[in-house]
Amino acid sequence: MTPALIWRWPTPNGLPPLPLVGGVLALLAGLWLTAPIVEVDFVRLIGSFGRMLAFAGQMFVTPDWEYVPQLLAKMLETIEMTVLSTAIAIVVSLPLGILAASNATPHPVVYRLTRDLLSLMRALPELVWALVFVSAVGLGPLPGVMALAFVTVGFMGKFFAESIEVVDHKAVEGVRAHGAGWLQVRLFAMLPQALPDFVGTVMYILDHNLRAAAILGLVGAGGIGYDLVMSMRLFQYDRLLLIALAIYVVVTVLDRASDRLRSRIIHGRRA
Amino acid sequence: MSAISIQSVSKRFPNGFEALKGIDAEIRSGSFTVVLGPSGAGKSTLLRLMNGLETPTTGMVRIDGEIVDRRKVRHIRSRVAMVFQQFNLVDRLSVVTNVLTGRLAHRSWVGSVFYLFRQEDLGIAREALCRVGLIDKAWSRADKLSGGQQQRVGIARALAQRPKVILADEPVASLDPVSSEEIMTLLREICDRDGITVVVNLHQVDLARRFADRIIGMNGGRIVFDGKPEEMTQSVLRTIYQREGIEDDTSLDMALAYA
Amino acid sequence: MNVHDLKSARPQPLPPKPRNPMPVWVAATLAMLWLIVWDLEISFETLAYGVEDMAEYFSRYGQPDFTDLSRYLYLMGVTLATALWGTVFALLVAFFLAPLAARNFAPNVVTYRIARETLNFMRAMPDLLLALIFVAALGLGPLPGALALGVHTAGFLGKFFAESLERVDKGVCEGVASTGANFAQMVMYAGWPSILREALGYVLYILDRNVRMASVLGLVGAGGIGLALHDTLRLFDYGQSAALILVILATILIIDYASAWLRRRLD
Repeated sequence: MTPALIWRWPTPNGLPPLPLVGGVLALLAGLWLTAPIVEVDFVRLIGSFGRMLAFAGQMFVTPDWEYVPQLLAKMLETIEMTVLSTAIAIVVSLPLGILAASNATPHPVVYRLTRDLLSLMRALPELVWALVFVSAVGLGPLPGVMALAFVTVGFMGKFFAESIEVVDHKAVEGVRAHGAGWLQVRLFAMLPQALPDFVGTVMYILDHNLRAAAILGLVGAGGIGYDLVMSMRLFQYDRLLLIALAIYVVVTVLDRASDRLRSRIIHGRRA
Repeated sequence: MSAISIQSVSKRFPNGFEALKGIDAEIRSGSFTVVLGPSGAGKSTLLRLMNGLETPTTGMVRIDGEIVDRRKVRHIRSRVAMVFQQFNLVDRLSVVTNVLTGRLAHRSWVGSVFYLFRQEDLGIAREALCRVGLIDKAWSRADKLSGGQQQRVGIARALAQRPKVILADEPVASLDPVSSEEIMTLLREICDRDGITVVVNLHQVDLARRFADRIIGMNGGRIVFDGKPEEMTQSVLRTIYQREGIEDDTSLDMALAYA
Repeated sequence: MNVHDLKSARPQPLPPKPRNPMPVWVAATLAMLWLIVWDLEISFETLAYGVEDMAEYFSRYGQPDFTDLSRYLYLMGVTLATALWGTVFALLVAFFLAPLAARNFAPNVVTYRIARETLNFMRAMPDLLLALIFVAALGLGPLPGALALGVHTAGFLGKFFAESLERVDKGVCEGVASTGANFAQMVMYAGWPSILREALGYVLYILDRNVRMASVLGLVGAGGIGLALHDTLRLFDYGQSAALILVILATILIIDYASAWLRRRLD
């Protein structure tokens, strides 16, 4: 007890809890130590404010309307890459998800191997794979689709496995009690129960892939990204404005749609 | 002098349900009032209006002469404490911190957002916890306590506000008979010793009879009885618990026979 | 229907089976995918012929060249630091914006809408685009990268937090509100303590994501290991590229396991 202090925390000794203090101090120490590495410089930050404003000012130009048809074509390509890669990922992830679910896997060794494979697949960002695939198969949307599908199998397989692991055990036992075989149990008892979760996962992956597809063009893997970087480098702000706007609109529309679908699924489950 | 004055209050919810249809009542300072009635009678809405958790569609509620409205709601709430059926404690905070939330309105937000409290506030919290007999649980997390204990923390939180009025919305509906008895005795004792005005919503007739100075019976959003417990006869109970459109209600008679 | 009816009832034909639209959907989806493949001019033949080339191509990554390992590790350190700063920045922004963007805590509808739209906007801007802009304004280096990650993921974190806050039990909110607490006190007492565990999970997820992203931000001049990888790939230096990829892979796997362990401890 320290009666001299007017202020105290609601703890037995009036001081904040030790783990909290330790955590905050560790975080602050980490930030302080890494500040020179990240070149955090508040003077520079404040100094750049003028340039940021100038940049924002340059965005207020008449859009390059003649660019619109090409923009639409590129946006369509971006969306097509998103849909195609998500579709490929679904087909590949379903069997992998079953193998990687602890209650559906045929053998613990298979479970472990599939899990590790999935975590390897999702470890590197799409852009790195896109770089590699562009070097392998050349420029265009193909390496982009390959990179997107490859990485999202890693995520989707894991998410699918996790939704299969939490399905209700009773229904599974019910189907098994009626003499269903290995595959039948998985197809008729586990997958239907996990389906609402799957839809949520697919929406999430679609969203993720759209954002990723929009920047893959940076390394020549198709989509709007190439035009984005070029207009940035060539200071074509009249195009940049349109591109940023198009990305914003498409991402927001998908975001709202997936929010609505997800809340409908949750609602449907409650009823 | 009346602590609470309710003047021709009605409340219609956005979905069209009319919870209160013109209520007038004066509640004397330092009294123990029980609002009795079947579920859906509007008891809860009436209590929530007094704390500003709902706003009346027409009419007004005054606490100590001050009208409860949007702008003054925090000021009013600091003097009108509320005890809930589901206790409504913050599960992950300690019992003391939950009690200390009762001091929030009395302090500026600068210290309190960092969970810093004055020594005197801790004294008030300790005193409140002693009153409800939970000082040994002070540092436990709120969700580790039993229902009866959680409700006593709820009452300690109300006491820490140093309120003029304590409103209790079905405080014993989620508790076993022994805990219910304890909670009602505690509220009665607070009323008698501290002179705090207590208004309790109940649906149990026997508890109302034993603890109240005054009973307000409600049915269908209207006051159908207002008087002392001994004036509450079997026919009065019939009016309070009468269901709309049912003339000869044998199940009601049977239920009331045991009340 | 009474017993008599049941006895006299003749066996009736089953009611017509409700039409199952599933095959139509499957057909439509397949048709759409085929259209996409056709439109993107993806040729499966070249892909099939390419498999052999690909195998040859990947074999070039067979001998990782670790001679410059200390430099790679330093670059990975820069990348991790960038991710850390970005995440902390996002956390700070989300901490203040999320309560305003949660319907049950927001003081009024106008602030709610503004906060929601701000978060949506931050989320919609790809971090690579933001990095390009910040590099233009701040010059090369990790700082613009950290800022870009921060702004973009603040949108995500803020949305996650706001959704968690909206799920806080209504009774708990009323319990604290009934004592006369103001907005800041409501958020600190009814809000954050109730969602603490969920929120920590989200922060770990975002940190994880930011490490992945930070390792490619170098592509647009925002420092870190991505720039080195870009350069070695351009110079067709497969040994060094393989070493860089392995360093990134190892780091991300370690972080993956560490955050999974931390999340288990939180439960």
